Amino acid sequence: MVRPQADSGRYMGEQGKSMEETSEFLTGGFVAVLGLIGLLLASGALDDEMYLFGFSLAGFALAFNAMLIRRHHNRVDAARALAKAAVRHD
Amino acid sequence: MTDAAVLGPMPVYNEAIVRKFTIATMFWGVLAFLVGCTIAAELCWPGLSFGVSFLNFGRLRPVHTSAAIFAFGGNALFATSLYVVQRTCRARLWGGEALAEFLFWGYNFFIVQAALSYVMGYSRGQEYSEPTWHLTLFLVIVWVCYAAVFIGTLARRAEPHIYVANWFYLAFILTVAILVLVNNAALPVSMYSSREYVAYGGVQNALIQWWYGHNAVGFFLTAAFLGMMYYFIPKQANRPIYSYRLSIVHFWSLIFMYIWAGPHHLHYTSLPDWTQTLGMAFSIMLWMPSWGGMINGLMTLSGAWDKLRSDPALRFSVTAVGFYGMSTFEGPVMSIRDVNALAHYTDWVIGHVHSGALGWVAFITFGAMYYLVPVLWHRTKLYSVKLVAWHYWIATLGIVFYMTSMWVAGIMQGLMWRAYDQFGFLQYSFVDSVAAVHPYYIIRLLGGLMFLAGALIMVFNLIMTVKSPSTAPGALAVPPRNLPSGLTGAVLAGE
Repeated sequence: MVRPQADSGRYMGEQGKSMEETSEFLTGGFVAVLGLIGLLLASGALDDEMYLFGFSLAGFALAFNAMLIRRHHNRVDAARALAKAAVRHD
Repeated sequence: MTDAAVLGPMPVYNEAIVRKFTIATMFWGVLAFLVGCTIAAELCWPGLSFGVSFLNFGRLRPVHTSAAIFAFGGNALFATSLYVVQRTCRARLWGGEALAEFLFWGYNFFIVQAALSYVMGYSRGQEYSEPTWHLTLFLVIVWVCYAAVFIGTLARRAEPHIYVANWFYLAFILTVAILVLVNNAALPVSMYSSREYVAYGGVQNALIQWWYGHNAVGFFLTAAFLGMMYYFIPKQANRPIYSYRLSIVHFWSLIFMYIWAGPHHLHYTSLPDWTQTLGMAFSIMLWMPSWGGMINGLMTLSGAWDKLRSDPALRFSVTAVGFYGMSTFEGPVMSIRDVNALAHYTDWVIGHVHSGALGWVAFITFGAMYYLVPVLWHRTKLYSVKLVAWHYWIATLGIVFYMTSMWVAGIMQGLMWRAYDQFGFLQYSFVDSVAAVHPYYIIRLLGGLMFLAGALIMVFNLIMTVKSPSTAPGALAVPPRNLPSGLTGAVLAGE
């Protein structure tokens, strides 16, 4: 038996795509805040451990958000290429 | 009728994140075993740290335990739980790919940072709870996201029923969150300092630490891996669970009883006697739910025992259940106060821990990895079944060397420490007991090296499974599975 009320995100339709974009925006924003906190911690660090952690957190945030941006543009490029191919096919 | 006709179109699962956690599992597994062998060698020959601070035993030991439990075990649990919850709920992971990516990179960032802090000499000094406050805070953020993804996926499920494996995973996620929050309660010296004042003092601190420590074993290393067992053994054996009712009964009894057993780590301390007895009594009662799980896992093979001859990956999973039964028998025995008087502080405890960690946790993970890798990378089969068999026998022998040497060393230590002569003086000095266990430490190292060698064989085999043309979909037709009449592949293990 299949639950009738719960099918959101099952087939990656428009709703699924919208969730992906919202997720990227929220996660990216949150990780950026973490990165800023990392810089703050490194700036006033009283020991080596906090200094290393602070800068590492900032680096992590930078790399993570760069990855999200790359994924976003890859997806946009793929959709554009698909649309072009469809036009050519018609 | 096919599965698709019965169940409708299958959702697009997020398998990319499961693949990443699978790779991380194997990477951290090898690293954990390697560091374990290094510190085992240092115990045999202390000069091996070469006087370098970050190579000494005290700093590398938490790297080994954290890498084994949280890095190897944790990544395996992330991989399997996120795989199982999608398959058994027939729903894509909640929260989107970006949040799932944060889980993977965030969790592994935490592990790397924790390992670096240990080798730099920063630690809370509490077993299995070494990360300092800011690292714990970061872990809590990742863990809340994990809980949200897992519970969100359960909430959007297309199946009316929540399969039992998910119950175990959910108990693990929720309980570990509570354990970490309570045990790590502390006041930082400054926002900019990694030092902290722990919220508890004296025996209260010890009690809370071992409430945390024992339940880290109970919920991280037991309940969650039982979730793994309840999905992968039925799938590997192509049999439904022996008794679904037993799985529910032993789930509730296990999680109720485990939470009380911590004080058995504090026998003969300033902890009140009644609390020690409480911990001991609940530890003994734990036999029942623990063996309920073992019986359920083993009996799932009823009618399919022959597969153990032909499928060494399944052999890993089933042997794991055997080790689980053995170590959950040994644990309650060691929690009995009079037995503990002999066993405590000796290498018997180390042997017991490793029969669980290597025999249960690592073996059930290896079984799951051998199942998952061909599925996740869309290959028709493993590169070499013979190599899986080699891995199995080398690793099993390694565990036997490890456990038996630690049993002998531990019991000998306990007996030497308590022996006294006719005048009432201690018969042996402490260093006598250290010298006496030296040969057993070398045997333990040999066992560890064998286990490491087995893991390297697995890594080679799995890399070749992904890369070799011989396992590609076009290379060979998938052999038909021998399903019991009336069952389809999707019906097994809750799918």
